[in-house]
Amino acid sequence: MDIKEKLKQVLIEELNLEDLTPEEIGDDDALFGEGLGLDSLDAVELVVVVQKHFGVEIKDMEEGRPALQSISTLAAFIEGKLQG
Amino acid sequence: MRMAIQGIGISGGFGCGVETLRAALQGKSVEPQADCAERDGVTDSLPAFRATLEGVDEFFPKRALRRLDQYAKMTLLSACLALKDAGRFDVDRSRTGVIIASGYGALQTTFDFLDSYLDFGYSCSSPTHFSNSVHNAAAAHVSMHLTIPAPSLTVTQFEMSVPSALLTARQWLAEGRVEQILFGCIDEYCQVLHYCRQRFFGVGEQGPLRPFEFAKQSAVVGEGAAFFLLTPGEGGAAYGFIDSVRLGNHGVNPVSLPPDDPVITGADGHRECSRWYEQALQGREMAAYAPLYGSFPAAAGFDLAVAALSLRDQTLYASPELSGAPATVERKHRSLSEGRLSCLKFGPGADYGLIRLSS
Amino acid sequence: MKRGIAITGLGCLCGAGMNLAECLASMFRNQRNPRPPVRFSTDHPVSYPVLELPDEFQLPLDDQERVYARTSQLALAAALEALADAGWDEEKLRGKRVGVCIGTTVGCALNCDDFYRDFKSTDTEPEMGPIERFLRSNPAAVIARQLKLDGPNQTVVNACSSGTDAIGIAASWLRAGACDLVIAGGADELARVTYAGFSSLMITDTEPCKPFDLKRKGLNLGEGAGLMILESAAVRGGKKARGYLLGYGSACDAYHLTAPRPDGAGLKQALAEAFATAEVTPNQIAFVNAHGTGTPDNDRVESRVLAEVLPGVPFLSTKGYTGHTLGAAGGIEAVFTLACLQRGEIPANIGFTAADPELGGIPVSKNTRIDGSVALSESLAFGGNNAVLILGKGDD
Repeated sequence: MDIKEKLKQVLIEELNLEDLTPEEIGDDDALFGEGLGLDSLDAVELVVVVQKHFGVEIKDMEEGRPALQSISTLAAFIEGKLQG
Repeated sequence: MRMAIQGIGISGGFGCGVETLRAALQGKSVEPQADCAERDGVTDSLPAFRATLEGVDEFFPKRALRRLDQYAKMTLLSACLALKDAGRFDVDRSRTGVIIASGYGALQTTFDFLDSYLDFGYSCSSPTHFSNSVHNAAAAHVSMHLTIPAPSLTVTQFEMSVPSALLTARQWLAEGRVEQILFGCIDEYCQVLHYCRQRFFGVGEQGPLRPFEFAKQSAVVGEGAAFFLLTPGEGGAAYGFIDSVRLGNHGVNPVSLPPDDPVITGADGHRECSRWYEQALQGREMAAYAPLYGSFPAAAGFDLAVAALSLRDQTLYASPELSGAPATVERKHRSLSEGRLSCLKFGPGADYGLIRLSS
Repeated sequence: MKRGIAITGLGCLCGAGMNLAECLASMFRNQRNPRPPVRFSTDHPVSYPVLELPDEFQLPLDDQERVYARTSQLALAAALEALADAGWDEEKLRGKRVGVCIGTTVGCALNCDDFYRDFKSTDTEPEMGPIERFLRSNPAAVIARQLKLDGPNQTVVNACSSGTDAIGIAASWLRAGACDLVIAGGADELARVTYAGFSSLMITDTEPCKPFDLKRKGLNLGEGAGLMILESAAVRGGKKARGYLLGYGSACDAYHLTAPRPDGAGLKQALAEAFATAEVTPNQIAFVNAHGTGTPDNDRVESRVLAEVLPGVPFLSTKGYTGHTLGAAGGIEAVFTLACLQRGEIPANIGFTAADPELGGIPVSKNTRIDGSVALSESLAFGGNNAVLILGKGDD
């Protein structure tokens, strides 16, 4: 499964977004604010999700903020870290 | 200053809603579920009075509740039911204080948080589980979802949680800090609790719960949430009035009971606490209803709900399990013409909470 | 201004010192010693400094009192210091109605992770000792039991505002005549579970915290207890008061589980209630002991509210010295506020060096003499609780 697909699945599971399916999350939809409507607590939970499911660390929110914009940006961040 | 009980929202082993409690008091049979736990390949079963979460969707869409754990959902459901029962769900709630009494808090989430780092390492500690495990999270969810910017309090005092928190509820109303209070009593069941009780009490937790067999351990674990909408006692009351609340230690200074009130005891098959009831209530008319909802610290709130219903129905309901009961325990429902009763809850160390009510 | 409820004794121990005198001495020397935790370890890639009670510290308790969980031991130690300060002992308390109202977070949480680790494993039956200790260690119940007290008893678990709320509630018991005196405040131990929890929220700093500073990154956790004795006029007689509790206010943001309301509406409501009950106006406040955890959000919201409601009033956070002691914070900070009023001086807000233009103002950056007989201590908590105490200077 590619990173974006896996991200959408674990997002729905771990953040309990049970009314959503992966197909309904656009790769470039904003995760916070107007898009998916996630908030600050979801942001730190996502940091854990990324660590747990991909083994990639987000050190702080300075690093995290740009990465957590959308599924695309997060997938790119993860790929970048995995490639070292 | 007395407090008036205007609404009750309740969910426990007998069902959900004050009508289900009334049906149980009137004689509808209530049985605990068999809760199975597997450990080291061995499955054992313990009875437990479990509460339901059905009905919380009636008040809020699922997505809005995605962050709530079971404990908070149980809390929010009963809070909404209490407001609805009082006919005040859609009335301005901005001056509604929120007070929650719980013996153990959100137990399951506490362990879910520990799971997150024990299973996956400290970097995977779940901030959501942690936030929800903090004891006042459920009160916060009530305030957020019901949009209540008024004072909020959560109290954890084991068996004394309910009477202790009631002291503060009375003060808030007496001092005009709020116009009404959503007062909740909640405890939840989880597998770790099941395990601990087995280790401590073994066979004694298999039931049936016999509250008047004071020398025996016969507790059956339970869970639930009981909410009351309380207002200052100047107007009328839909159920009755809480006239006074007193806390003390029976070993330091023996409890002084009102001369004629029938006493609803918190006797729940927990031997360490039961001996105090036997001692303090010699020759007194008493009742015990724990066989309808089980043994848990916040059950003192369920005793209070029974008291309120009894006043409204002008009936002292027969205690559901009479084995070992002294002659002073009524065997049948009787009219509560005197319009007064007390609720007495002991902790294992002889600490007590005494609540007096009247119509 | 209302006369208020007399406070006759103070007790405090935390990372800044083992009793109130030691805490004041180190704070006014502008000293602090945050370091990685000693009593537990984790596998986090970095460590977060904490303000732990020193290892060599021996709580002034006997063996009978050491059977309790650490939070209750801390509460007991501070209670004994406060009672001695107020001239009470177990004998003199006999026959009185004595209330106990303690705020805590860890003290009521079944956070026994060693027990739970064994519970989860397939080859170990866990020792039940930690559970037994938990069941006998409700902080308010422990104080009442050890001192054989009869009276109202309550453990407040309102997260970071618990200690402040406990003191406000204690005062209401006295006003209602529910007891003759109350032991009130907060206590909390440093625990691995909370360390893991707060770091998962990414609000802990990897360096000593910097409340209200431009470069602040988060809080340091701490532990301790701060308790006071509140007395009714009847039992106090002519005894001098260490201070007075003039007013209390609290309100819930009803906004978010962990983030404060950006407009500070809940805090403003709590402040308004405190001023109204104390019959005091903002310009009478000599200084504010702020919540000031050093997190980006808290300090921004809080400083803006202070700038709006208490413009020009000096403020400081003592959390640089104590760390964030959670349920104990409100108790410790109320004790410090009274001690500073008596002394006529507040310590520097340690950790502050550079102003943040986004904030409403800057805290005091050096020890500062203060005039005036009224001060304010406030706490903002998870769950959106805001609690405020207005305190008056004691008798000379």
